[in-house]
Amino acid sequence: MKYRLKIAQETADVDAFSSGSEQNIEFIIGEETYHVGYRAVSNNCLHLVVDGKAIEAFHIRGGHGKHVFVNGRSFLVEDADQLPLRRGRRTGIDQAPGDVTPPMPSVVVRIMVEEGDLVKKGQGLIVVTAMKMETTLKAPYNGRVTAIKTTVDAKVAPGDILVEIEEEEPENE
Amino acid sequence: MFKKILIANRGEIAVRIMRTCREMGIQTVAVYSDADAAAAHVLEADEAVLLGESEPSKSYLNINQVIIAAEKTGAEAIHPGYGFLAENPDFAESCETSGITFIGPPSRVIRDLGNKTLARTMMEKAGVPVIPGMLEATTDPALLYQEAERMGYPVLVKAVAGGGGKGMRIVSEQEEMEEACLSAMSEAEKAFGNGSLYLEKCVESPRHVEFQILADQHGNVVHLFERECSIQRRHQKIIEETPSPAMTPSLQDAMGNAALSVALASGYVNAGTVEFLLEPSGQFYFLEVNTRLQVEHPITEMTTGIDLVRLQLEIATGKPLAFKQQDITRRGHAIECRIYAEDPEANFFPSPGLVLLHREPAGPGVRNDCGIYEGFEVPVEYDPILGKLIVMAGTREAARMRMTRALESYVILGIRTIIPFLIDILKSSEFAEGNTYTDFIDHNFRDWTQKMEDADLARIAYVVDEMTSSAKPSATAKERGWPTPWETLRAWKI
Repeated sequence: MKYRLKIAQETADVDAFSSGSEQNIEFIIGEETYHVGYRAVSNNCLHLVVDGKAIEAFHIRGGHGKHVFVNGRSFLVEDADQLPLRRGRRTGIDQAPGDVTPPMPSVVVRIMVEEGDLVKKGQGLIVVTAMKMETTLKAPYNGRVTAIKTTVDAKVAPGDILVEIEEEEPENE
Repeated sequence: MFKKILIANRGEIAVRIMRTCREMGIQTVAVYSDADAAAAHVLEADEAVLLGESEPSKSYLNINQVIIAAEKTGAEAIHPGYGFLAENPDFAESCETSGITFIGPPSRVIRDLGNKTLARTMMEKAGVPVIPGMLEATTDPALLYQEAERMGYPVLVKAVAGGGGKGMRIVSEQEEMEEACLSAMSEAEKAFGNGSLYLEKCVESPRHVEFQILADQHGNVVHLFERECSIQRRHQKIIEETPSPAMTPSLQDAMGNAALSVALASGYVNAGTVEFLLEPSGQFYFLEVNTRLQVEHPITEMTTGIDLVRLQLEIATGKPLAFKQQDITRRGHAIECRIYAEDPEANFFPSPGLVLLHREPAGPGVRNDCGIYEGFEVPVEYDPILGKLIVMAGTREAARMRMTRALESYVILGIRTIIPFLIDILKSSEFAEGNTYTDFIDHNFRDWTQKMEDADLARIAYVVDEMTSSAKPSATAKERGWPTPWETLRAWKI
C-alpha cells in the first residue's frame, strides 16, 4: 500500500509491504526501511516493535487527519492525497500567511480598525486573548480593510478569517 | 477538625486539596463558573456551587459570591488554593468577619507581605539580606531614572503590587529605561490597579531558591528545606526540584535561618514560601513571601513525607505543630514539571480545546496532580496549567531519568502541551549537570522546535491503524453496543 503522509510541512512517501506473516509489515519511508511488528491493543493504542524496539503508539482522529503520539511527542498526521484544497489555501495549522486568523482558540478583546481603513503591513488589527495571554493579529500586507468578520467578546478559532484585507498592488517604480 | 470546607479554586489544585479532605473525612464544597460545570474539581467534590459567568471577575474572583456559597452550604472554612483570591487580604478579611476560617495566614500578614517595599523594609530590619534597591515605590519616572543611575545598570523595574512577572522589566542600559518604565506602569495599572514602580539591582545569573515554611498559631515555626525553581519561561516556573543542585550544608543553614527570621518578623501563620535569589558566589537575597500553598509544594511532600494540605488544615483549627525543626528529614530527590496547555513552538501561546485522548504516566515514584480528563474541554478563560507531574527517586540523576520516562509516556492528544519541550530540557546536558539559572531557557532553548526524528514512527502508526482498523468492526458502533449489519444479516447472497 502506498500513502503520502504529511506532518507539519513535511510530506513523505510511505510504502507498506506485508512480509508474508500476518503481524509483520515492512515500511519504506523516503530512504529508510523499517521492519515493524504490530498488535492493536485497543481502538486508540498500538503496540509496535520497530526494528526490535518496542513502542506504544496512541492515535485518534482529529482535524484533517490523525493525532499520533509516540515517545512523548504528538504529531498531526495527514493523508496528503485527501486534504481538502480551498483555492490553493488551506485552513488548519498551516494557513496561508496572508490570513488574519488567531493562532489558537481565543476571545476577541479589541478591534483596532474599521471597514475601509488603509492598513500598513505589520499594523495591529485585532487583539485576542486566551488563558490570560494577549496577542495582536497584524496586517499581513499593505491594503484596505474590506470586511470585519467578528465582534468584541466573540470566540474565535484558527482558520476563522477575522479581517479581510484587499491587498494594495505593489507599486512599480 | 472541620466537618466541611469550601475550596475557592479550580483545576488540579482544587482536586489535590479535596483528596486530602477525603482522607481526613472532611466533606468538600467546590465552586465553579459556567465554563467549568463539568470540570474535574466539580466532579471530585461532595457539593458544588455555581458562582457565575466564566469571566474570573464574575466567578472565582467574586469575594461576595464565594462567601455566600460557604454560608449557604455550611462550610466552616475556605481553602483558597493558589492564584485567584489566595493572596487577596480583602478576601481573608471577609472570611474573618463572616466567621469563616480562612486556611492561610491572617489578613494583616497577607497585606504586609503583599506590599513589596514594606516587606523589604521589614526583612532588612530583621537582618535578612535584601537586594539593593528602592524602599519606596513611585509613579514619577524622573525619580526612577535618577535611582537607576545611582544603582548602576542593569536594573530591574518592578510593580509594587506585582506578581507573575507582570509589570516587571529588565533594563540593561539608560536608553531602554523610559520605554520600560512607561510600559511596566501601564501594565501594572491594568493588572493590579496600581501603577507604582520601584527598582532593584539586577542580580545576574541567579538561581531561584525558595524555602517552605510552616508556622502554627502558638509561635512554633519550622522550615521544610528548599526548592529550586530556576527553569522559567515568561518569569513563570515550569520545572522545580529539591534539593537544589547548588545546596551545601552551610548554605542550607544560613538560608533556612533567614527563612525562619522572615516568618517570625512577619508574624506568619500557616504554610508559606520564602523566595530568594541565589548568586553563583553563594550570596543570597530575600525576594518575597508567597502567603499560600505553592504550585510546586508536592516535591517537598515527596521528599519529607509530610502532607502540607493536612498540616494547613490542622494549623487552621489551632493545633500545634507536632514536630520540631530537628525532627524533619528528607530523603532522595524530587522533580516537578508543570504541564501547560501551550504551544512551545509559538512563543508558548495558550492552546485550549478538547482533550481527545488522555493517558497518565504511572510506575514507581510517579505522582500526577491533574485537573483534566479525556473529553474535557479546556476553557480559554483561565491559566493554561493542566496539571503537574512529580517524580521522586534516590538521586538527582535517577529522578531526571524517571521524569523523562514519565513524560515520554504521558499521552495528551487534541491540544498542544509543553511536554515535548520539557523532555528536551530534561535530556539536555546543561540540566543534567545542574547548571540551572533563571535565564536557562533564553540561554539554551530559545527558538525551540519539535524534533522530527520520531515523525516516521508516527507515519508508521498511522498506516498500521489504517490497515488494521478496516479489519475490525466499526469502533463507534461497537462502543455504543449497537449490532452492525454484518452481525444481524447472517448468511446472505448477492
